[in-house]
Amino acid sequence: MISLRFAVEATGARHPFVVRLNDDYGLRSTTHDVYLAEFEGADAVFEGPGGLLRVQGLRSGEADGDVLLVIPDRNIAHRLIRAASDHNTLLVTERCDQLCVMCSQPPKTRHVDMFSLLETAALLAPRDATIGISGGEPTLYKDQLFGLLTRVLEARPDVSFHVLTNAQHFVEQDVQTLRALPAGSVTWGVPLYSADPGLHDRIVGKQGAQAALLNNLAILCRAGAAIELRTVIMRLNVARLTELAVFLVTHVPFVTNWAIMQLENIGYARKNWDELFEDTSISFGHVASALDLARARGISAVLYNFPLCTVPEPYRALAPSTISDWKRRYLSECDDCSARSRCGGFFEWYPDDRGFAGVRHL
Amino acid sequence: MKVWPLKFRDLVDGTIFADDAGGWFKSDRGFLDRYGKDQLAPDDLSFLQSNGHAYERVGDLSHTAFAWRWASRQAVASPLAYVILVPTLRCNLSCGYCQVSRAAETARGFDWSSETLKDVLRFLDRLETDQIKIEFQGGEPTLRLDLLEAVRDFCRKRFLRSEFVVCTNLQRLGAAEWSFLEAADTFTSTSVDGDASTHERQRTVSAALTDEFFGNLAMAAERLGPHRMSALPTIDPFSPPDFMSLCETYEQLGIASIYLRPVNHQGFARRRRMRSEEMLLWNRMHSDFIELLIRRNAETGHFLEEYYFTHALRRVLSAGLEHHVDIRNPNLFATDYVLVDFDGKLYPTDEARMLSRIGHVDLSVGHVATGIDGERRAAMNASSMNNFDPDCIHCPYQTFCGTDLIDDVSRYGRVDVPRHDTWFCQRHMALFDKVFELVYRDDVATRLSLARWAGVAEWPIGLARRHS
Ligand code: SF4
Ligand code: SF4
Repeated sequence: MISLRFAVEATGARHPFVVRLNDDYGLRSTTHDVYLAEFEGADAVFEGPGGLLRVQGLRSGEADGDVLLVIPDRNIAHRLIRAASDHNTLLVTERCDQLCVMCSQPPKTRHVDMFSLLETAALLAPRDATIGISGGEPTLYKDQLFGLLTRVLEARPDVSFHVLTNAQHFVEQDVQTLRALPAGSVTWGVPLYSADPGLHDRIVGKQGAQAALLNNLAILCRAGAAIELRTVIMRLNVARLTELAVFLVTHVPFVTNWAIMQLENIGYARKNWDELFEDTSISFGHVASALDLARARGISAVLYNFPLCTVPEPYRALAPSTISDWKRRYLSECDDCSARSRCGGFFEWYPDDRGFAGVRHL
Repeated sequence: MKVWPLKFRDLVDGTIFADDAGGWFKSDRGFLDRYGKDQLAPDDLSFLQSNGHAYERVGDLSHTAFAWRWASRQAVASPLAYVILVPTLRCNLSCGYCQVSRAAETARGFDWSSETLKDVLRFLDRLETDQIKIEFQGGEPTLRLDLLEAVRDFCRKRFLRSEFVVCTNLQRLGAAEWSFLEAADTFTSTSVDGDASTHERQRTVSAALTDEFFGNLAMAAERLGPHRMSALPTIDPFSPPDFMSLCETYEQLGIASIYLRPVNHQGFARRRRMRSEEMLLWNRMHSDFIELLIRRNAETGHFLEEYYFTHALRRVLSAGLEHHVDIRNPNLFATDYVLVDFDGKLYPTDEARMLSRIGHVDLSVGHVATGIDGERRAAMNASSMNNFDPDCIHCPYQTFCGTDLIDDVSRYGRVDVPRHDTWFCQRHMALFDKVFELVYRDDVATRLSLARWAGVAEWPIGLARRHS
């Protein structure tokens, strides 16, 4: 597993700060760039304008261009952006106004405002990076979020964002702000679990959530925003997936794509796994007809987090490798599988004994 | 709740309803009656709401989605990036229905002059695009391989991406012609009217030429592969080919998409008296061909499609197919594509140049030396949409359909013929009738083909909604 945290020592600093690691001098030079000075045992020592930074267990070439958030008084650094990865996500808050039954990142009540540090990090991202923004619910701090997006995109037109939001907090006045963002530079990943308001509300643990969501999808549409609609399938909603597809092609045809997603065994989903997990390697029918219906009517529906062998052959091309590299693993069945290089495999925390019955090498 | 206007049309076993944004369903006269008398029952209203034909308040999701669907059904002008070039009108064949667009192989004065070539390159150079598609037509364009080479060399340097299509009769190909066609950015398009006897009757005339053609065709299939080669049959509804063997011919070539193209009654062929039953014959034949494909596909498991039917089906199913020049609305001429004739004149379409050539009407829109004549183009495009046509506004197929005023001019000499009397309308009315007949047909073989044609694994049962 790729490490997203390092033990560090930062001499002289007291407050959290952001740095970008460089193996060589001269390539990049902002006040946030630090340069590899030497290796001391298992540690790499960087030097920069603010002094020395010692990073434990870092090998040469491994983190060139990475952006770290250093918390000196706790001697740790969060690896916010890995230059070599397509999967970089900034977590802007841990608060949320929903409580989804399968939440992978159960919310906390406390909020630590890190927006300005995260903005600095985004500005240091490698060329053409897509940066994920997640939470909690990022739009609880909508003004800070819009400010961050606006300023970073102004300074870095090559960068784009993918923001995960429950879309509960947009209002008509946001249309102006959203329209002013460069076209196509921000994709809003919005979950909708069912066309039935009661079922959706039950899954997200909030009364009236679906009504607010649908209203705000209209706002996003009028703002010309790019929307990725996301539906995690569970035993609760899978039988009504085709009904949702019919709803989408009629009332939400403007989405850029519709991601039908398999469950990630972490957070509440781990706790409720047996009640929630739908083994689509055994019965793929609902997913298949939802995919066909949406695609025939012009919505680009795709599968996220589905191991290829659990998907019937005609639908495999719709299942790209989506599990982030740092939390992806393969099983022993995968060893001699011909599809492995195209397959996204499993989450690190996938439960081997309670998962898909139909895993087999292709 | 407010209900958007619905238009309707009776089919054999029910009534098709559609709104202006491409939403549709099947119901019956009973519903029509309630709709007409403004006596919709709660059931009716909840169906209409769920199927996107109604909304509660301006700006709610249903209202916004309707607006989005309406907008996404309008063709939007894109920059000029598709140029059809006719470097010569001379041809080494003389097919029965193509007299106007050809001159004898030995004739003089039917090729671009060196001045015209320069003008063409300058015209291309000034285009505001970095991607270009060039289609070489004729005559037989390979008779002037030197001009083709000059254009292709220029485009490869000038544009970031360029693609070339050579519309050739594949009749006489030497080493130089083959090597031109074999380039990775070059595609070959030809006519294959069916089996050898039909092709000979309509095109090659002599057995020797027929053999030569089919020899080259097989060679092209082998050397270019199906993805770099396309073929169309031109169909005369008065003497159609044997469709089974037409399918076999295409399948052997590895071509799974067959575009039945009605014989073009412009030009000399137009002098043949147009018989009134032609339209009926065509529509019946086309419908029969679709049925043949459905049966054949189910039996063989190898799927063929009729290209235009598939396109019509997909237009009924979803937005996003607004760029096919044969069926779009508005149909803006000389905007994203234009034709340069052998004498440097610009035309909006191939039909327009033939029509102008017979001298009925001048449909040119400028000259390659001086560019597109904006005024002439604007005059043409002012009526090139179906949105306000008094017949189309009552037609449930309006959103899926298009308009073709050049075809109207060619057949009737004017653009204001009542829509329902035109070939364009009658052909498309029948085409969409067929689409709706099939999407509501409860039959395994039909669903197999529909799924393929719609580009999905299985035809979704709940897709075509009914209300009673
Ligand atoms: S065996 Fe493993 S690698 Fe192969 S398709 Fe299944 S999950 Fe993917
Ligand atoms: S041309 Fe005919 S089929 Fe097409 S929309 Fe108009 S009335 Fe309908």
